[in-house]
Amino acid sequence: MTSELGVGRPTKRRPGAAVGGLPVADSRPVLDRSDDGGDAVLGVRCTACRYPAAQTGIPWCPACYAPVAPERFAVTGTAWSSTVVAIRVGQRRPPFGLAYLDLDDGPRVLVHLAEPAVVPIGTRLRITGTDDGDLVASA
Amino acid sequence: MSTAMVWGVGTSDYGLFPERRVESLAWEAVAEAVRDAGITPGEIDAIVVGSVFGPPGVATRVQRGLGIPGVPVWTVENACASSTSAFHEAVEAVRFGRFGCVLVLGVDQMSTLFSGAIVPEATDPEGASSLPLPGLYALAAQRYVGEFGVTPEQLAAVAVKNKRNGLDNPRAQLRTSAPTTEEVLASRMIAEPLTMLQCCPTSDGAGAAIVGGDRGNRDDLLVEASAMVSGALWDHRSDDVWGYASVARAAEKAFAQAGRPPSEIDVMEVHDAFTIGEILTLEALGIAPRGKGAELAPAGHTTRDGAQPVNPSGGLLSRGHPLGATGTAQIAEVVWQLRGRAGPRQVARHGVGLVETMGGGAAGMDGNACVVTILSTQP
Repeated sequence: MTSELGVGRPTKRRPGAAVGGLPVADSRPVLDRSDDGGDAVLGVRCTACRYPAAQTGIPWCPACYAPVAPERFAVTGTAWSSTVVAIRVGQRRPPFGLAYLDLDDGPRVLVHLAEPAVVPIGTRLRITGTDDGDLVASA
Repeated sequence: MSTAMVWGVGTSDYGLFPERRVESLAWEAVAEAVRDAGITPGEIDAIVVGSVFGPPGVATRVQRGLGIPGVPVWTVENACASSTSAFHEAVEAVRFGRFGCVLVLGVDQMSTLFSGAIVPEATDPEGASSLPLPGLYALAAQRYVGEFGVTPEQLAAVAVKNKRNGLDNPRAQLRTSAPTTEEVLASRMIAEPLTMLQCCPTSDGAGAAIVGGDRGNRDDLLVEASAMVSGALWDHRSDDVWGYASVARAAEKAFAQAGRPPSEIDVMEVHDAFTIGEILTLEALGIAPRGKGAELAPAGHTTRDGAQPVNPSGGLLSRGHPLGATGTAQIAEVVWQLRGRAGPRQVARHGVGLVETMGGGAAGMDGNACVVTILSTQP
């Protein structure tokens, strides 16, 4: 495995397996495709103020401190913004497209775009699957 | 509450110095700051260090060359705002009478840790999904392009201004050329719309400041305000681009503390890690209305001979960005400007100066921390 970190050089910043370091626990949102046609992004929602979060295991709602409960979020939403990255990042080879996607009635999640192109703000996107653990969306 | 003053500042050169010991960068900055303050090292009552990448125990490793034994020492990590956070702690400590004289140090030696761009933090959802920092700023820039019609030329104007300013900064990492707008836009694409010349280089370096009470020295600068805030949730409910709200929160506190409006700031060093960063920051500080920040550099408002010069040092785009050292480097520049001793970089009006440092990158938060400091000459 090649590494951008230099030749056998230790680093304080955890590089993760994606760039040749040791694996770390995956903190990315999870796409659940177990139900027939019922794809969902897994997360939690506040039982009081309905605040949605893709991060699980949080101790309470970070917006109002009420208890949170597991939730399934829609895999569709609108693009908040997008970019095409033109440099190599870890094992991701350029160009690759990234977007912040505001899920319908859900949290804002970072997704990879199936086609590396900037999409207009507000474009409807659907999460169609994952690539090496990253959420992948297309118009 | 007592008055806090900056007695002296110092920095190392900024660049790639992998052959140097990390402490030597720090010692260079501290030695200059101690000389500048006109004190002996033995007068220092406490040391606060801002550093992101260490090494672990960097404060003590620096301390062993300084001969300042037994004083309280602590290390602060707040991403890019680490050493302005350290400065904030020193100011608060002096104001509350806890210490009479505090050494603030910022240091990082990134060339020994990364070859090329910083590797995103793999424990973070965004880092694990290969979002690099320029990508995060690019997403903010694209949002601005879509929302306010910011043009590529307006973004590039920030780089043209700051890289031209950097030519007159002998300590800057990049001071070989002042690119044209066309050259900025034609440089290698990093993350659309940000090209290479719109991104700061990663660097090695150190900065230091001596903070103490009012000792009646005309050269000392009054700390009118020092405000630090941590991040808040940044999510689908926010109308702000990433990072904006944290700067606005810190700015509001700082201007209230100083009892001044943004229009009274004569000179600023702000966090221009990427061109869009300077634009967003100036809006969040209230220097320009929302959506109008991109007009400041092309209109000449923020050039060195403009009404409110921003980053006369060349900013991070020229100086480079040794994360933990950046805040103290900004404070040093504003101190030199306010004293009227910035040489060819000197701005005309220099009574009140502002430093803003925003550190961030943790997914779902609008920043890790932001510090806004307002300094002034004494009446």
